[in-house]
Amino acid sequence: MLPANPLLEPATERVAPPAVLVVFGASGDLTSRKLVPALEQLGLRRLLPNGFSVVGVARTELSDAEFLARMREGAAEVGASPEESRHLWESLAGGFRYVTGEYGDPDTFLRLRKVLEELDHERGTGGNRLYYLATPPATFATIVDSLAQADLNRSPSPESFARVVVEKPFGRDGRSAQALDETVHAAFDESQVYRIDHYLGKETVQNLLALRFANAIFEPIWNRRYVDHVQVTVAEALGVGHRGSFYEQAGALRDIVQNHVLQVLALTLMEPPASFEADAIRDEKVKALRAVDVYAPHQVGAQAVRAQYDAGWVQGSEVGAYRDEEGVNPHSERETYVAMRLEVDNWRWAGVPIYVRTGKRLPKRVTEVAMEFSAVPHLPFAASQAEGLDPAALVLRIQPDEGITLRFGAKVPGQAFRVRSVSMDFSYGAAFLEETPEAYERLLLDALVGDPTLFIRTDEVAQAWRICDPVLGAWDGGDVPLARYDAGSWGPWEAEALLAREGRRWRRP
Amino acid sequence: MAATLTPSDPGRTLGVWEADDVGVGEIGSAMARLRHQHRAAAVQTSVLTLVVVGAPAAIEGAAATVRDLGDQHPSRTLLIGIDPDDDAEAGLDARASLELVVREGASVCYDEVRLRVRGRARYHLDSVVEPFTLPDVPVVVWLPDDLPSPGDPLLPTVDRVVVDSRAVAQERPDTLARVAALGRRLPVADLSWYRLATWRSMLAGVFEGPAHRAFAAGVDEVVVRGNHGPRTLLAGWLLRRLGLEPEQVEVGPAAHVSVHLSATAGGRRATFEVARRSDERCVEAIIAVEGAPPVVQRVQMRRRWPALALASALTTMGADRSYAEALDGSMALVGR
Repeated sequence: MLPANPLLEPATERVAPPAVLVVFGASGDLTSRKLVPALEQLGLRRLLPNGFSVVGVARTELSDAEFLARMREGAAEVGASPEESRHLWESLAGGFRYVTGEYGDPDTFLRLRKVLEELDHERGTGGNRLYYLATPPATFATIVDSLAQADLNRSPSPESFARVVVEKPFGRDGRSAQALDETVHAAFDESQVYRIDHYLGKETVQNLLALRFANAIFEPIWNRRYVDHVQVTVAEALGVGHRGSFYEQAGALRDIVQNHVLQVLALTLMEPPASFEADAIRDEKVKALRAVDVYAPHQVGAQAVRAQYDAGWVQGSEVGAYRDEEGVNPHSERETYVAMRLEVDNWRWAGVPIYVRTGKRLPKRVTEVAMEFSAVPHLPFAASQAEGLDPAALVLRIQPDEGITLRFGAKVPGQAFRVRSVSMDFSYGAAFLEETPEAYERLLLDALVGDPTLFIRTDEVAQAWRICDPVLGAWDGGDVPLARYDAGSWGPWEAEALLAREGRRWRRP
Repeated sequence: MAATLTPSDPGRTLGVWEADDVGVGEIGSAMARLRHQHRAAAVQTSVLTLVVVGAPAAIEGAAATVRDLGDQHPSRTLLIGIDPDDDAEAGLDARASLELVVREGASVCYDEVRLRVRGRARYHLDSVVEPFTLPDVPVVVWLPDDLPSPGDPLLPTVDRVVVDSRAVAQERPDTLARVAALGRRLPVADLSWYRLATWRSMLAGVFEGPAHRAFAAGVDEVVVRGNHGPRTLLAGWLLRRLGLEPEQVEVGPAAHVSVHLSATAGGRRATFEVARRSDERCVEAIIAVEGAPPVVQRVQMRRRWPALALASALTTMGADRSYAEALDGSMALVGR
């Protein structure tokens, strides 16, 4: 163990130790559009250490200088102005290296090893490595295996670290996720594995924990006694764009529900953790996911709706149908929309329906969790006095305008006594002086300092697949028809019916 | 008395009300009317009441800094300019405005009250400030060009004081001692300290990682150069944090802050330097360990620093233990 750094502010400051970020798939989009801009921001906030280095590994032939130039261009498109970041790039320049090669070729990893040792000597990175797998999942096994063969999966000293960051998707189903885990675990312990879901890096998702566990007023009503039902919406206005061929393999359930939706849901429904330690929180998330009821195959049709968008109008533009998108089979049965009714079998949530929906080509981009509270047991007003009054709701807006909305009944001003719903808004961005870091920024720093709280543990992945697998099974078996919806609408009527038959309706977010 | 109520540019100032020689109650009513007239101001998200007190010229500069906070501005701001003429008749001139900032479709609305306090009213600022404070949120007073006297009636009504020791250190050699005394009464935020954040985090950064950490326990010489106040603060912080003797710390004047540390670990010598070399807004850290090539890191200082230093000072609530340590160390250096 290293002695403590006497100059570090223990409670507030988190500076990453000197380390090498090794990016596999470094010539790809994710690296230049997300990772490098996030690194640039960390550098500008002075959160990157001296000597911090980046090694790109990919099949595309590039020199160190070309790699650096490409990353810098990528960052310039979305990141800080060149004037603002000039000095940062000058100090990072000496630490950018590139290794060209096949992931299965031992020589690639021997050269990688040599570069890492050079950087340790030249830049004082002390054997710290963060491997980032920004490649398609099919390559994970080869890369992990090659790292182990070259003895790069273990840190060279007890004071240093070797960690691996894995991007979603974490498998295509429970079985492939388990196979992927076995591959990764053959070389890395679970404590070295950081599974990234960028949703968890969003401030409001973390704010869910603050809202629930830092305030005594919400927790007493956060249960079946007061909550009528919960709605989770993850809506996108965009279509599949150039990801058509990927989407054909994935679909909305795998792409959004299995990870983002269930992660947000776990944080919403979990019991209070005993501490804010990573495993204390993740234990509670797993418990919440484990309590989610799984459908029998014959129930799927009644509890889950899958749908695909037709042509329509979104935000003033005419857009084509999913089947006309680039890379999509013209007869595709792939779902671009999912609505599901879930139940959670535990003391807190038994009998409270949880409705989740996600889709592409919906009217706007919005992610929110809404706790819809029960109606009052007796309304002492005449029906005509309470037209336009809905039961109270607490809505946690995750994007784009992060914040909290409370809906409640208030008297309409005037001589008559009429009650109507009003909403009170809290805008997260408007309440604090701090600049909000981007999700990737936050998560990269967490991985570098070794805080796994906002990363997904293997048992969370397994539980999420346990919930999704029966649905996928029924869909793949052709038991459930694919519904259709117009682009620009809030989804198919079958999704409306899912709630309407229980006397409820979807919110308009 | 002349009062006007005018709607203004909807992108920035929603409405303004001005009047000379008015009572506090009238100003409060005018602000309520302004809010009532503008639907965008119906919801107010506030985390504090910020009171700025100083000479009229200093208040102008402070007002610009507060505006620079822009959409990160969740407070009610009370800007109080003190008329130095004690013989003038006691009274208030006021300008209240409603400011709106729109960012990505979300709007932030805050109100700003400028007061000119005349005559003996300056000795009773607590009575002026109290009616304007927002319920339930902290009251922070910022003195851009001075330190409060121990008997200042404002002190019991506020939760936190923001000062700038660099701005007053030149004229008052006992500045840090007075700030230390103030800090024993209530939490103090010193903008000079927040301005040093770049140096502090870069100094902490040079000892991160297994290759350099051991040197932190082996520092035997420290040289800090810079302006009068900041150099002493930084040197005091290093003195206490690194557990040094005052004789091992040298402090000297320079236009920009620089820190040079010499250390030994495992039989090797190393130097660690963090310095701003010129007027260019860039801080450089150089680590030179015997037998290894030097590692250089350059960091651009953020723009809008006065606003960012203020934002940091307003975000941190409660006592700042590191700052208290730095002050304590500074006293040891000044008193040797």
